Amino acid sequence: MSTKGFNSFEIAQAQFDKVAALLDLDAGTREFLRWPMREYAFSIPVRMDDGRVKVFRGFRVQHNDARGPSKGGIRFHPQETVDTVRALSMWMTWKCAVVDIPLGGGKGGVICDPHNLSAREQEKICRGWVRQLVRNVGPVQDVPAPDVMTNAQHMLWMLDEFEALQGGRYPGFITGKPVGMGGSLGRTEATGYGVVFTLREALREHGVAVESTRASVQGFGNVSQYAIRLYQQLGGKVICVSSWDQKDQASYSFKRNSGVDMDELAGITDAFGGIDKEKAKKLGYEVLPGDAWIEQPVEILLPCALENQITPETVKKVHAAVKFVAEGANGPTTTEADVVLKDRGIYLIPDFLANAGGVTCSYFEQVQCNMNYYWEKDEVLGKLDSKMTSAFLAVSELARERKLYMRDAAYVIAINRVAQACKDRGWV
Amino acid sequence: MTESRPMDEILKALQERAKELNCLYRIDEIVHDVERPIEELLRAVAEALPPGLQYPAHCVARIVLRDLDVRGAGFVETPWKLTAPIVISNRPVGELHIHYTQQMPRADEGPFLKEERKLIDAAADRIARAMQHRELTEVFGRMQIGHPPLDAAPRQDWNIILDLLRRTDQHLYNQVARKMLNHLSWSGIEEAKELLLSIAGPEEAGEPGDENRPTRRSAPKDFEVISAETFQIAATHLSEQDLLNNIQTWIKEDRLNFLVLALESGNTSLPEIANALERYHHTGLDARELSPAMHLGLKVSLIRRLLTDNLEFINTCRPWVEIDDFVDLVGHTILLPKSHGRVGGKGSGLLLARHVLRRSPEHRELLDGVKVPKTWYVPSDGLLQFLAYNNLDDVYNWKYRDLDEIRQEYPHMLQVFKSSRFPAEFVQGLSTALDDLGDRPLIVRSSSLLEDRAGSAFSGKYKSLFLANQGRKSDRLAALLDAIAEVYGSVFGPDPIQYREERGLLEHHEEMGIMIQEVVGVRAGRYFLPAFAGVGFSHNELRWSPRIRRDDGLLRLVPGLGTRAVDRLADDYPILVAPGQPGLRVNVTPEEVYRYSPRKVDVINLETNSFETVDRHTLLKEVGGDLPGLTQLVSLYEHDMLRRPGGLDLRVNEDKLVFTFEGLLTETDFVPRMKAILQVLREAQGMPVDIEFASDGRDLYLLQCRPQSHAADTVPAAIPRDLPPERVLFSADRYVSNGAVPDITHIVYVDPEGYSRLGDLNELRDVSRAVGSLNQILPKRQFILMGPGRWGSRGDVKLGVSVTYSDINNTAVLIEIARKKGNYVPDVSFGTHFFQDLIESGIRYLPLYPDDPGVVFNEPFFRRSENILARLLPDLAHLADTVRVIDVPEVTGGQVLRVLMNADLDAAMGVLAPPGVAMVTSAVLPSPAARSAEDHWRWRLRMAQKVASDLEPARFGVQAFYVFGSTKNASAGPGSDIDVILHFRGTPEQRRDLELWLEGWSLCLAEMNFLRTGYPSEGLLDVHLVTDEDLARQTSYAAKIGAITDAARPLTLGGPAAG
Repeated sequence: MSTKGFNSFEIAQAQFDKVAALLDLDAGTREFLRWPMREYAFSIPVRMDDGRVKVFRGFRVQHNDARGPSKGGIRFHPQETVDTVRALSMWMTWKCAVVDIPLGGGKGGVICDPHNLSAREQEKICRGWVRQLVRNVGPVQDVPAPDVMTNAQHMLWMLDEFEALQGGRYPGFITGKPVGMGGSLGRTEATGYGVVFTLREALREHGVAVESTRASVQGFGNVSQYAIRLYQQLGGKVICVSSWDQKDQASYSFKRNSGVDMDELAGITDAFGGIDKEKAKKLGYEVLPGDAWIEQPVEILLPCALENQITPETVKKVHAAVKFVAEGANGPTTTEADVVLKDRGIYLIPDFLANAGGVTCSYFEQVQCNMNYYWEKDEVLGKLDSKMTSAFLAVSELARERKLYMRDAAYVIAINRVAQACKDRGWV
Repeated sequence: MTESRPMDEILKALQERAKELNCLYRIDEIVHDVERPIEELLRAVAEALPPGLQYPAHCVARIVLRDLDVRGAGFVETPWKLTAPIVISNRPVGELHIHYTQQMPRADEGPFLKEERKLIDAAADRIARAMQHRELTEVFGRMQIGHPPLDAAPRQDWNIILDLLRRTDQHLYNQVARKMLNHLSWSGIEEAKELLLSIAGPEEAGEPGDENRPTRRSAPKDFEVISAETFQIAATHLSEQDLLNNIQTWIKEDRLNFLVLALESGNTSLPEIANALERYHHTGLDARELSPAMHLGLKVSLIRRLLTDNLEFINTCRPWVEIDDFVDLVGHTILLPKSHGRVGGKGSGLLLARHVLRRSPEHRELLDGVKVPKTWYVPSDGLLQFLAYNNLDDVYNWKYRDLDEIRQEYPHMLQVFKSSRFPAEFVQGLSTALDDLGDRPLIVRSSSLLEDRAGSAFSGKYKSLFLANQGRKSDRLAALLDAIAEVYGSVFGPDPIQYREERGLLEHHEEMGIMIQEVVGVRAGRYFLPAFAGVGFSHNELRWSPRIRRDDGLLRLVPGLGTRAVDRLADDYPILVAPGQPGLRVNVTPEEVYRYSPRKVDVINLETNSFETVDRHTLLKEVGGDLPGLTQLVSLYEHDMLRRPGGLDLRVNEDKLVFTFEGLLTETDFVPRMKAILQVLREAQGMPVDIEFASDGRDLYLLQCRPQSHAADTVPAAIPRDLPPERVLFSADRYVSNGAVPDITHIVYVDPEGYSRLGDLNELRDVSRAVGSLNQILPKRQFILMGPGRWGSRGDVKLGVSVTYSDINNTAVLIEIARKKGNYVPDVSFGTHFFQDLIESGIRYLPLYPDDPGVVFNEPFFRRSENILARLLPDLAHLADTVRVIDVPEVTGGQVLRVLMNADLDAAMGVLAPPGVAMVTSAVLPSPAARSAEDHWRWRLRMAQKVASDLEPARFGVQAFYVFGSTKNASAGPGSDIDVILHFRGTPEQRRDLELWLEGWSLCLAEMNFLRTGYPSEGLLDVHLVTDEDLARQTSYAAKIGAITDAARPLTLGGPAAG
């Protein structure tokens, strides 16, 4: 598409510029961080199932590796552009920095549509990608992960090619692998638990006892299910949860003032994450419209489904009792609604921090791989707790001290850490 | 035997018949052993006979043949005997005797049953034929082996055979001579011509005469002399070998005369044909020895008499079937006395396919193992016999009743059928079939004669019933009879009758054959099911990738019974595979694969004797271990990965198993096999085919094959030519599927350029929101969505509007526009983000390439027509440059948009047309099923439009005309009113006139609706007049006009509006 239109890299740069100004970064550092450090673009020839050869374009952008090896996903996308990949690699740098894990930011991809490719052809692309980049990636340089239209299978093909070329076993080359093949336990729980770890700290800071709170949750996928479980274990009470009904092509909210029972609900949930309305009614749940979750008289809202859910219209329905919002989903709050939340004094834990449990667990996967020693799930989740807790405390402390909105504070702390590393190395 | 005999006596009688049949089969085996010396052979027959009689222990046999006299062990002469002569060429040459060694109870003929008389007559006949066969073979053998055709004594050999013929069978001798004479004349041999003329008589031979006057018969001459002369001429002109070959062929053909006669005579009944076929079988003739003409003639007659008289089918069928195939067929047919029925469409299709697969020279290694389940046939006039037997003659006129009445009374009628009885021969035949089929579950399918009429795919109109077929034989037989009665009853169901009426087939006498077929599958715990089953199409109309060609075909696969693959499912998904491109899957990510995998399985429950649908995990937990080849059918979904399961997973991780058929598709020859089957069948039939198949985990079975039919809504549309350019909005010539979408009233056009100019992420998201909202507001299935690139783009919103399925689920067509960008054309998504949802809900997909040469894309229309977005969604009015909503009738003076798509031509077109004009499709009209769902509201809307356009506003003082309620909301049923609001601003006189005028319409429409649907009503229009005052006060109906939600829809009035 034309460059006149929406360009995600320009947006990422603008966002950086705003924070750089807040931090009063020097011109050299700004110039350095506004652009990726390295970009690779290359061709991957593949012999297709019908015998013809087709050439695919591959990319890898390493935005910054001052704090550690680059980390970021590989996307298979038919209309991938280098600008998109640049923007995403920059976001990865900040994301790793905000939770203070020793990794930099990267992103890569191949221009292709897996819908038009057989599994064998996809394997060839994966192996071709690694062949082109084998000297520039690896456990101590750049660590790829699954992203749009790639999954554990692609990671294993890539790992296998990398190890074949290197002549050894390097499970730490790539993350997102299945358990037993170098994957980490606890990944399913990581994001949902991470949300609640940060929420717990926020409540503690405000002197609010978890047992005295109620929450309403949007979404009934992985993130929200584990978030609900942990929050209730800590003593809180979830009174409303919304879920998507595949058959009706609509969502519904399920409410029970005595609190929802996760095991009970999981038992009546279909493969799409949809809760059976009739059975829920029998169990004493009220079945309400999909957007009813937002207007519940609770202290805490956990939007864990889609982006753009808290909008200028819906934010008006947020109950006066609400004091905390923890963003389990990516970008659930629009810019305009963000202002309203800020004005109402609602404490917000931004997506970028709240749902960083996922990337933290990827880091743990890499750590375990590199030492070829795998932790029990409790150990993974315990370490996750301490990582998330200290990340939260650092951000909230900064927010308090500098009187920043939490979302801005998270960016400030991340960019500052990266800038500092570049300076310490004497780069800028 | 009378029908009042109780069941156990019938069974006893049947046991006797089985004994007799076994005995006859045994004798057949013996006499066909050409190596066995005659005396030994006769002895074996004498030993084989007694077990076929009622009291074998006291029965002995004796055979006298020419100078041989063979007696069975323990033979004694007694007075209680039965004798049959052995006759060769009309001359008695011996006798067959059966004796009881002591007195036995009286029966039909002394102590013997009448069936036993038939048995020994048949045995004697078998011996005679075997002897005759041996004698002839010996003669031929001597000539061909013992005396090689040396020049020295060539004449001798054929002379011997003619001599033998003349002595044993004068008639045949003359026949052969006659044929020889004709043959010689045709070959242009003068002497022969002269001889022929001399027979005809001199006075007529020379002149042509009056063509209309019959040629006079020749005076009887001495055939003996003519024959001798003929053979003399032959001897001088033909080689030894030719002569011999001809004589041999004619002798053989003569022996098949009975078969020709049986087939050509219209009066021969099915059992007689069966008998003739059996005789043919026993002659031991090889069909290849017949002359090609005779061979073909016999085959065509057999196809016509036993399968169908559809000429096209006969032509397709004849290269693939052999006479022996029909022997097998009648062996599996319930031979009702005096029946003249046929197998019917479905049965014929399957028979043809089976023989094509057996005989096609291509892909032998793949086709060899393909099986067809054991099938028995009830001939098509079984229905008539059933009706006659139960005095149900009055149902013949049932079809002329009012459809509504039929609908109401059908359940009672079905009860009458189910409590009717079957003629004894019918029951007997089915009992034999049941013995053969055993206690495996059965499916009783209809095989209608109307099915073979081109263009009337009666698929699913008549019933198919599954039977668990468990328990005592009498119970199983009763259940089978019950099922047949129900299938018979379904002929008189309202839907098939309506369907026939619409196609002008009502006057065709509906006879319906029935197939009783073994269900393919295995027992797993209390269930019986195939490992997998599905349907296959040789033409793929649903390509989800540009790499898939139409010829790559399409399979819809499900676990368990194939019932779930046949129909579109609302809440479940079959696995789709294109056999020509098996690597390209519809669903790519593990999450998608999991989401769109079959969740339910159809099975037969052997304990409750019923057909059931069970959840996949319930099934796997309960009987997973018993399902054959389960590792080939499922994948393990774990850690965002789909793996082929190890043996342990099948027991431990049932919850994580997903039906993907991955092993079947990638590790077995299933895909190449299906590809070969579809290709061979398509080529043999000269048209695309669709098939049903199933596998018990070991073998692949073909269950059905017929010309590829189109669901009512996927019939290729006729693409009009030479339309004035202003009527064409767009055209396409790539990746087009089939279908026609009428009466599109709204277009939602997301302008590609405007969309690419949007710089703000929130604006891009607003576009998605606008589309989602319009999807709720616009009339269901009456609008189309057109947008740039990839609808449902998940990664990058710039590439296409990021919607989910629920944002688009009411559209009629989803169109993706691929506009050139600089020097490249961006990819479109082919709807992959919700491909299976689109398929299962019948939403059409079409990609447009506006920059292709020769393609129409009326951009000015889309960009300059009035945009009503701001009216519909005021809060999103800022998107008006990008999201354009066009009310088609409003901007085109009452026309609507029609999207016509034709995959055969790979062409599609969006054209403007007046509403309600019947669309021409190249095949059939929509089926009643589709009609009941969609047509009621379409028709009502069309009629409302018609009323509005006929209404002269000035004459009646009408300001505006609106429609609302079920007609506007596309939810009208057959009995719904048409709710209209008229904005009235006239005089009381005008009001009276108007009300009268509308009353007339209302009654008319009610009558029309009654004729269409059978729903009577007092009037169809529900009219609400509102005045300016009402509008100002927003009283109830006035509030509907311009309402935010569910607003009444304005229709265009005829002529100028009143003051």
